[in-house]
Amino acid sequence: MGRLGFRSTQMDPSEREQYRAAIHGDREAFEMIIRTHSRPLFAIAYGILQNRQEAEDVVQDSLVKAWKTRWRVRDPEKFPAWLATIARHRAHDVFRKRRTVPLSQQVTEPIEPEQASTSALDHRLHSALAALPELHRAALTLRYFEEMDYRTIENTLGLTNGALRGILGRALASLRKQLRPAAASMD
Amino acid sequence: MATIHDEIDTWLAADLHGELSDKEQNALHAHLVDCSVCRKTHQETKAMNKILEETLAQEKPDPIFEQRILADFRSRVPQRNGLVKLFVDLMRLRATQIAAVVAVLLGLVQIGRMITGESVTAPHERYVGEQFAAHQSQVPASRAAPSGALAKSGEVAAGRPEGLALKEPAPPAPAQPEDEGRGRAEVERTIVTGSAIPTVAEEEAQTAAQEPAAGVGNRKLIRNATVELEIVSFDNALEKITAFANEERGYIATTDSEKQANGKLRGQVAVKVLPENLDRFLQKIRGLGELKNQTLGTEDVTKAYFDTDARLKNAHVMEQRLIDMMKTKTGKVSDLLQVEKELGRVREEIEKMQGELKYWDSQVQFATVTISLAEKDMQEPAAFLLKERAQLSLYTPDVEKIYNEAKGLASPKVQITNAQLNRDYSGRVSAQLSMLIAPEESDAVIARVKGFGRVENFQTQTQRTAQDGSGMSENARTKRDKVELNVTVSREEQEQAFQQTSLRIRTSSVDDKTKELRALTEKQGGRVRSSTFSRDPNGREVANVSLRVAMKHYAALMQSLDSLGKVENVSVQRQDRGNAQIDESNAPADISIQVYSHGNIVTEESGLVATLRRTVAQSAGAIMWSLRMIGVAVAFLAPWTIAVVGIVWITRRAMRAKR
Repeated sequence: MGRLGFRSTQMDPSEREQYRAAIHGDREAFEMIIRTHSRPLFAIAYGILQNRQEAEDVVQDSLVKAWKTRWRVRDPEKFPAWLATIARHRAHDVFRKRRTVPLSQQVTEPIEPEQASTSALDHRLHSALAALPELHRAALTLRYFEEMDYRTIENTLGLTNGALRGILGRALASLRKQLRPAAASMD
Repeated sequence: MATIHDEIDTWLAADLHGELSDKEQNALHAHLVDCSVCRKTHQETKAMNKILEETLAQEKPDPIFEQRILADFRSRVPQRNGLVKLFVDLMRLRATQIAAVVAVLLGLVQIGRMITGESVTAPHERYVGEQFAAHQSQVPASRAAPSGALAKSGEVAAGRPEGLALKEPAPPAPAQPEDEGRGRAEVERTIVTGSAIPTVAEEEAQTAAQEPAAGVGNRKLIRNATVELEIVSFDNALEKITAFANEERGYIATTDSEKQANGKLRGQVAVKVLPENLDRFLQKIRGLGELKNQTLGTEDVTKAYFDTDARLKNAHVMEQRLIDMMKTKTGKVSDLLQVEKELGRVREEIEKMQGELKYWDSQVQFATVTISLAEKDMQEPAAFLLKERAQLSLYTPDVEKIYNEAKGLASPKVQITNAQLNRDYSGRVSAQLSMLIAPEESDAVIARVKGFGRVENFQTQTQRTAQDGSGMSENARTKRDKVELNVTVSREEQEQAFQQTSLRIRTSSVDDKTKELRALTEKQGGRVRSSTFSRDPNGREVANVSLRVAMKHYAALMQSLDSLGKVENVSVQRQDRGNAQIDESNAPADISIQVYSHGNIVTEESGLVATLRRTVAQSAGAIMWSLRMIGVAVAFLAPWTIAVVGIVWITRRAMRAKR
């Protein structure tokens, strides 16, 4: 999709330095990363789990795990993407457990009132979101929670500009098609 | 190329998210103006975007989200204190890790070295230690032994303490002598054996030494020498030896000489010289020629001489007493006879002993020098014998006739030693003859034999052998021995061709030309040895003719072949045999000729249908082959693929189960 133009994904040197320091065990740098990245991570986890509490747990677990295994990252530029990968895997694990363990009743139950309180449109939006591929959801949540620009999303999810554009485009289109009646009614 | 229309979703999303460049935005808007479908999509997407923004904004984490996360992180990952942190951080550095690994390895090596080193050096050290301990324990023991012995034998060895002190390495003595007597004996023994100072034993030894010293002047020594010399002239040398012997107050005892077949002399001279002059004499005769060998021996007959002398004295006394007995006693005749007999025996003994002593005296008085003389070039041959050996092969049409003729040559000067006629089962006849010819007749006989047929491979060999010796000689005569002649007679056909030619003649009428070829061959005095004719289904005719012709007619025949047709592929091969004398003009040349015609231009095998059929068959074969190869490849890869997939699957299951 070169036609859509190429944007440099080169990282800011100070940002890079921060990642490097964090990888080498600088706790302050890592806490700074927590401050800046926990929301995108939350967005990713939420994209997968559609549950705030679970997503927050995932973010916490992922950060702890990231700290413990930070030395595995060779290239500081890949640090955000790596963090996102951990969060995604963690979220998947949680998601899988929720599906397989019948105990999930307890987990899902507190969600119900929340969902019940929301409008029908919200409900349909959530189910439409749930039907999307996970990567699409992650991209959407990053975009709409955090209002991230494409470049940051690319870095976070480890995508190229073209791929991200395609993903967001298709995700929006898919949602649009599913929610057309609802949207119409809203209008 | 996808157009904006095709990818409108992507473009719209990017537009809504503000991610389009100005140029792209313009392009999109231009398209939206044109395309109503896309305009509708645009509207819907905008609405969707809004819904999403509104809905998802609700789901956004609360403002203290980061604080919560951070607090949780801090509680779960407690900050390490300085040193531990430093250490852990250090250990995370690659260089530190490598250094640590190296250090651990080195440490292990060092430990290993210590362990193995211990097991290697420990026995050594123990050994040294033991040695040292043994040495230490030995020292006091060996010290105690002599001192103890000394104390015990004080009265015995009194006055000779220095003897003991001098006696350095104490012979292994029991540290504690069990009783006094034994100790004393021990000491006495050591004194005697270690005698470096005058003792009773030494005095004895001195008297013993004086005895031979006293007898030195009377020693009876027989000296003799043998010398082997190579000289130029025997007589000359003998003269000189005589002169030398006279100078040294000696004489020639014996000489003997013999003459060899080649006129050289060889002999032995025994010379007697005074023993004191022996060495000088030997020096002198060495100058006579080349010394080959020399031995000098001395025999001591002192003891035997004096024994005999003593016995002689006794015998004289005995004789005197017997004589006295005869003078005084006037008893019975038988007694007298007894005395007489005894006297005779004693006198005989005396004479024998006197003779022995005289012999020894003479031997001792003069030294004997035995000189072996041999003239130079002893090995030179006396004569030479010239042996000639000739051998030839004859080729003739009638072997038996020649065989009988050759046998007819027998005469007193020509001896036939071996004659045999061989006929094998295939009717081939060959004969072999060996004869001995007197030297003066040899040339004539060989010439006659050569006239019997075509000669090939005539070889003569002359050998000169030396008689009675070896090497060169200017004077030796040369004698001719009988000449040995070996003749092999074979039929002409068996002879190997001197030259082989092969060629092809292309013609339209093979049969006719073959007949013509036969005629030509006969004209040139050649013979057709074999001939074949064949015709194949395509109408191709081939005749192979092999013929033999004498070399002198070869060129003419080859010339005439051109008249038969087109001559092709002429190849000539000749094997020159070394040493062999060949009558080239009569030597046989073999020519093998292939006369052939072209058949049909297109054979059945190369027709259109046949070619097509072959092509189809080959391509079918190729397909089958590739199918087989694919099967092989699948068989190769399938098990591995299955194994890899299985392992991945099991690993995933395991990981999931762990979570």
